[in-house]
Amino acid sequence: MSVEAAPAFRPRRSGLTRFVSAYGQEIVIACAILILFAVVSLINPRFLGANNLNTIISGNAYIAVAAIGMSMIIITGNIDVSVGALIGVLATISGTLAVAGYPVWVAWGAPILAGAAINAVVGALVAYGKIPSIVVTLGMLSILRGGLVSITGGAWISNLPPDFLLAQQRLLGVPAPVWFMVICTVIAFLWMRYSAFGRSLYAIGGNSEAARAAGIPIERRIVEVFAIHGAIAGVATILFATQLQIIQSTVPPNLELTIITASVIGGVSILGGTGTVIGSTLAAILFSAIGAGLIFVNVSAYWLRAVIGLLILITVLIDMLRRNRETRQASR
Amino acid sequence: MTIKKLLRHETILAVLVVLALIVLAAQSPRFFTVDNLLNQGRLMTEVGLIAIVMTFVIVTGGIDLSVGSILGMSAIMLGVFWKNFGLPLELAIFLALMVGTLAGLFNGLIITRFKVPPLIATLGTLALYRGIAEGVSQARSVRGYPDWFYVLGQGQVLGVPTQLWLLGIVAVVAAVILGMTTWGRMTYATGSNETAARFSGLRVDRVKLLIYSASGFAAALAAVIFVSRVSTTRSDMGTGVELDAITAVVLGGTSIFGGRGTIIGTLLGLILIQALKNGLSLAGVKSDGTIVLIGAVLILTILISNLFHRDGTR
Amino acid sequence: MTVEVRLERVSKSFGGVRVLRDVDFDVRAGEVHALLGENGAGKSTLIKIIAGVHAPDTGLIHIGDQQFRALSPREARKGGIATVYQELLLFPELTVTENIFLGNAPRGRLNMLDWQQMRRRARQLLDSLDSPDLDVDAKVGSLSVANRQRVEIAKALSQDARVVIMDEPTAALADADVERLMAVIKRLRERGVAIIYVSHKLPEIFALADRVTVLRDGALIGTRPIAEVTEQTLVAMMVGREIDHMFPKAEAAIGETILKVRNLSYGQRVKDISFDLRRGEIVGVAGLVGAGRTELALTIFGITPADSGTIEVDGKPVRILSPRQARNLGIAYVPEDRGLQGLVRPMTIAQNTSMAALRHVASGIFISLTREARQAVEAIASLGVRARGPDQVVAQLSGGNQQKVVLGKWLETHPLILIMDEPTRGIDVGAKAEIHALMSRLAKEGMAILMISSELPEVLGMSDRILVMHGGRLAATIDRADATPETVGAAMTQAGAAGVAA
Repeated sequence: MSVEAAPAFRPRRSGLTRFVSAYGQEIVIACAILILFAVVSLINPRFLGANNLNTIISGNAYIAVAAIGMSMIIITGNIDVSVGALIGVLATISGTLAVAGYPVWVAWGAPILAGAAINAVVGALVAYGKIPSIVVTLGMLSILRGGLVSITGGAWISNLPPDFLLAQQRLLGVPAPVWFMVICTVIAFLWMRYSAFGRSLYAIGGNSEAARAAGIPIERRIVEVFAIHGAIAGVATILFATQLQIIQSTVPPNLELTIITASVIGGVSILGGTGTVIGSTLAAILFSAIGAGLIFVNVSAYWLRAVIGLLILITVLIDMLRRNRETRQASR
Repeated sequence: MTIKKLLRHETILAVLVVLALIVLAAQSPRFFTVDNLLNQGRLMTEVGLIAIVMTFVIVTGGIDLSVGSILGMSAIMLGVFWKNFGLPLELAIFLALMVGTLAGLFNGLIITRFKVPPLIATLGTLALYRGIAEGVSQARSVRGYPDWFYVLGQGQVLGVPTQLWLLGIVAVVAAVILGMTTWGRMTYATGSNETAARFSGLRVDRVKLLIYSASGFAAALAAVIFVSRVSTTRSDMGTGVELDAITAVVLGGTSIFGGRGTIIGTLLGLILIQALKNGLSLAGVKSDGTIVLIGAVLILTILISNLFHRDGTR
Repeated sequence: MTVEVRLERVSKSFGGVRVLRDVDFDVRAGEVHALLGENGAGKSTLIKIIAGVHAPDTGLIHIGDQQFRALSPREARKGGIATVYQELLLFPELTVTENIFLGNAPRGRLNMLDWQQMRRRARQLLDSLDSPDLDVDAKVGSLSVANRQRVEIAKALSQDARVVIMDEPTAALADADVERLMAVIKRLRERGVAIIYVSHKLPEIFALADRVTVLRDGALIGTRPIAEVTEQTLVAMMVGREIDHMFPKAEAAIGETILKVRNLSYGQRVKDISFDLRRGEIVGVAGLVGAGRTELALTIFGITPADSGTIEVDGKPVRILSPRQARNLGIAYVPEDRGLQGLVRPMTIAQNTSMAALRHVASGIFISLTREARQAVEAIASLGVRARGPDQVVAQLSGGNQQKVVLGKWLETHPLILIMDEPTRGIDVGAKAEIHALMSRLAKEGMAILMISSELPEVLGMSDRILVMHGGRLAATIDRADATPETVGAAMTQAGAAGVAA
């Protein structure tokens, strides 16, 4: 974790150093993943088997996808603690439609539209109701979580039609979720970087007063970005819900926090205004790689979360030290 | 923040609580019985303890997401100290409380020394502390505590559940501290305008350290009660309790931006949530359906009080 | 020359305070129009009205042949108006290119941003600003202030601005950077850009401006061609003729030295400062914005503890590392930014008054609300705060009364040394006189007062002695007898003028 050492203040820089300085966090995580793979496979060569790699990445792909939308939200200086519950609700909607005999594309499309619609309401409450996003999404968390269980009664959805199970399909030997993760990440990255919309999100999170002075319609953007985040959560839902033959009425506990963590470790600053979606995807891969790695080196998986927690703290402390240094340099 | 304005939110809330109680009592004859109410108080205690201290945290403009994990970790440590290390249970309880307090202190240090936003700092320790709980316990639960220990979570004193006394004492002490002492004043000042507080010579960082430590202590205390109530120790104890506590605090009128809030409000928020949960389930609504209502109440209350407070703050 | 922007009888109030009164103003293509006035004269409000940030209460804005009652930021930009603010409104985490083109980026195919073209244009713009060394891919957060400013100017040019507003652009610049900036401005003028140039620094104005407009207390004092004015006439227009009778410093017995500062330094802003402060004395600290006056106060008060140098309070050497420690030593600081540093605005007068000395109204840890209220009532009476009572929220008070509350807060600590940073900024004339009378009274009672002020008449009227700072250093110490607007003004500006006039 010492990419920080790169000299940052030379007037003209080569393409490489520019790349390192712009994508520092992403490179750190990519290196961490590589080191992890190297170390674990030295201890246990079976770790590098193609099948194993696919399993590692595809099982967590939905987290990576959801983290893309979360990153956008955090970049604008907001947060969403309800996305885990949202994925649960959307999964049930999708599964119910599939079992009821609707065409597969309806079952896949519904969670995307429903996610966008639900989160557009959240965005409107944040932007126009002037309620802090953490409060709105906290309320949403209760509503969605409670609504889900009270409607399904905790029952699992089974007898899913085989062609609904997207996550179990493969293309060129690579599981579908991996394809989705890669494609979504690339599209989102390009879109965040090259579209005026994407840039305006950074502006809102970085300095909302200046963004307003630059003529960006902040309220509308907030609603839009929440809706997009909801739609992406819909995509994540499809990957999540089609992994198994059944859909449970619960999602992994603290799923929303895992997703937020992936974004933050990936370099999205909770203060808003900075970060990319590549980092969050890499972070999601890192999480699952750590989990799998611990098993392969015979460390109990029960330590996984402690390791991740430690990782978050280290990343955040490095980030804050860098920020504090930059502000000091600017003020002196 | 005039007294009047503060009262207004709490008055709205108090009226809501009374309305809810009346409606729920009418729905089910079993609701308004002493036994049921006391039992509800028992169930409310763990979240209540955490929410009371969380009020302080949020009044300073911070947040503590790690309380659920501290609860889990303290519970596991209680079991480990007692069963694995063979320490007397009294000492194990004390040590578990210390573990929770230190965990809170650690949060405070990250937040004050490194200027990490509280949301992120406690998000990190949320994973860390829960991870330690899981790693140490290896998914084994600890049971078979001596009988006297269950008095705390299952027994009664003078006809009232033991832990409800504890909650009452903590609530009174907290209300006094926040409302009447220099500590409380410093808490409000820190949350309203940290810079001005610092410029006035207040020890802002120390106030925060103490409050986050207290938050950890409250979570550990809740852990001990929790273990005593359910007679077992598991590493997933307290998962999600942070969101319940924050909901109660915010519902109680504490501003998520800091500087505004009272213990009374938090208690009203707690009571409203618990009454809704219980009353609706007695009236035949599935228990999870009530959560929906709580979420809606949270958003609506804040929305309404936002509409009322469109004044010169901006 | 064509008139690009014209304001017609524009007025604006904030919270009941008139900050602009029926002001006419215009700027023409290819001219530098300087806008001059003391702090609080209404310059910022005026330019913010032109930039579309504030809407005037009455009056009209003409852009070309269009007429507006008020502008939105978007309309102002469409009208070709760009602003380089004092507090630069850039996004530190974005690159130079991204900052320049934010909001008006060239689009390529599919309506996507064309990064190659943007970087090329950014390069061209910066080269045209004589800044070939500025990396278009650097994050703005890593740039120096001078370079950030160039980015802002490039941003303005990228929008094909016909009117560029510059708000105190040289306030935070080193001399070499000032020269470069002036060259850039002259080049813009040659291209026919209209420039509104806000500054305190008279030498710059004489070096650059074609016309100059002076505001005082929100009113237009006059607009003159630069050839028709001298430094003296401008100073007279800025400060008026009320110096003698407005600022009465009552004679006070000067006692022993209470604060002794030697070779105090902090970073680049406070360099090697030495002075003494005695009981009953008011020492004024004059200097331009960025001269290091506030930084000096913050260092003495322990917010930014000194890197080197010594401080003695009442004969004892001390190291002050926190405001708390400063307070316990008997130092009080009435800060520059009342809303941010001085007051907890949502709290009541009573709560603010007791803030710095909670022990005085508490028994043990318990605050006695009656004692606190009584204390506040006394403070309200003795300081002449106009308020409904101790329970009124300070946010509702006028600026002058807020300042009295801050002062009251610190008087409860019974300080030996009172540092007042811009004590009357943003305060109406009546309250100003009251604050000055209070300062006189406190000095007479034996308090030592260090007063930082940007208002020359205030410094001249109130001070027994004047410290003039420039570039973080003590440029001159002038006794009351020798202090005139000319001597102090010269000490404030002359040192910096050397580089500029060249």
